[in-house]
Amino acid sequence: MEEIRGNSHAADLRRVVKANEDIKKVIRISSGVNLVALNAMLIAKRSGERSRGFAVVSSELRVFSHKLDGAMSGLGTLIFELVSDAAAMQKQRQEHGHLLAIVAQGKRMRELVAPALARVDERISGTVQEIGRDWQKLSLQLNRVLQLCETGGSLARSAKIEAVYGGDMSNILKQVASRIEETVNEIFSTLKLLRTQLAE
Amino acid sequence: MKKLKFIYENGPHKWAVVARDPEKPGYLIDTNEYLVLNGSEALLADPGGMEIFSAVFSAISAEIDPYTIRYLFASHQDPDIISSLALWLNFNPDLKCYLSWLWGSFIPHFGGTAETFIAIPDEGMSISLGGLMLEAVPAHYLHSSGNFNLYDRKAKILFSGDVGAALLPPEENGLFVENFDRHIRHARDFHRRWMGSNAAKLNWCERVSRLDIDMLCPQHGAIYRGEDVKRFIDWFAALEVGSGIRE
Ligand SMILES: [Fe+2]
Ligand SMILES: [Fe+2]
Repeated sequence: MEEIRGNSHAADLRRVVKANEDIKKVIRISSGVNLVALNAMLIAKRSGERSRGFAVVSSELRVFSHKLDGAMSGLGTLIFELVSDAAAMQKQRQEHGHLLAIVAQGKRMRELVAPALARVDERISGTVQEIGRDWQKLSLQLNRVLQLCETGGSLARSAKIEAVYGGDMSNILKQVASRIEETVNEIFSTLKLLRTQLAE
Repeated sequence: MKKLKFIYENGPHKWAVVARDPEKPGYLIDTNEYLVLNGSEALLADPGGMEIFSAVFSAISAEIDPYTIRYLFASHQDPDIISSLALWLNFNPDLKCYLSWLWGSFIPHFGGTAETFIAIPDEGMSISLGGLMLEAVPAHYLHSSGNFNLYDRKAKILFSGDVGAALLPPEENGLFVENFDRHIRHARDFHRRWMGSNAAKLNWCERVSRLDIDMLCPQHGAIYRGEDVKRFIDWFAALEVGSGIRE
């Protein structure tokens, strides 16, 4: 509890803001996946018979990118709640600080503000619990997204293999598959780092 | 829930508003907070009251890294304008706050130290935001006796603080004024009661009518665009202010 009341709490909002920036970055990157996946499908269509396998993989990629969209918007909602709760905590901590300044003036003052302090403490521990739940939900969702990214990664790898059989479209198909792989990897590494930071 | 919306975008130069919130409890006056961005620097005009800090902070953070905010601008000393100051400073102690010299020793009751404030002289001043020049335009006695608007010549936007404010019913929740005549009914009593000086009002109207303005952005209510800007200035010029307790 002392941890949370003390200076570390302002740092807490900073930590939340940092996580928020990472997640926004990942959401931005992932919005590109949709386009790439759509592009892959169009190219596969154009190359027709020669890249049947790629067409199959690219439609799977479309499904994946939709799922990723959904997972990302979930992530966005959860981090928004966390930012909002952590910001609300700033105000409670400030009230707490004012009361502590009175407490510091001696025993009589301490007794005088004890009920007020207890009320603020209660509110703070409510918010702390809320923030704890927010982090928990967020890390569950992070795990989901990470799993999804693994699926996306192996899809991209199969797409690369299928691209080899794409005849004269081979090169374009390979490029598209690589783009998807890169994007998924970038999301994966950013979120993995974030998950490690959350665990600390 | 408060949400950030962009109202002007020109490369790295943007204006956004955290517009009024239909879900906010009725006992708090609803406010608009404005963010001016220029690349990696931002200024938050009238950051709002402490009760809505969390809503404003999270709405901004959803779109923009809140660390890009380097400056706060307080049009005047009211609680709905700047009582969130200590909370902003707690998040980023390096923030600087522009405000009228008149309130230099009053606003620190909301928070901040001698290093926090940049005093605006009565005649106004230029404010540089990463090289973009903004102007603090005097609007004294409208309503506060030390009061400034913020003008962006390039974006042709005037943040007008309480001037132009309207207390709109919840169903009229549009970001912009759509029907001036209907809108202005909700601005009339506010201006008659909160604004006290007809001389200050005429002086403001005269100066502001010479500015090139596409959007006039008040702290309460909807934003005036295009022809409605001139309509508002004319309406205000003709209104007898300081008359809100008669009748
Ligand atoms: Fe005011
Ligand atoms: Fe106001």
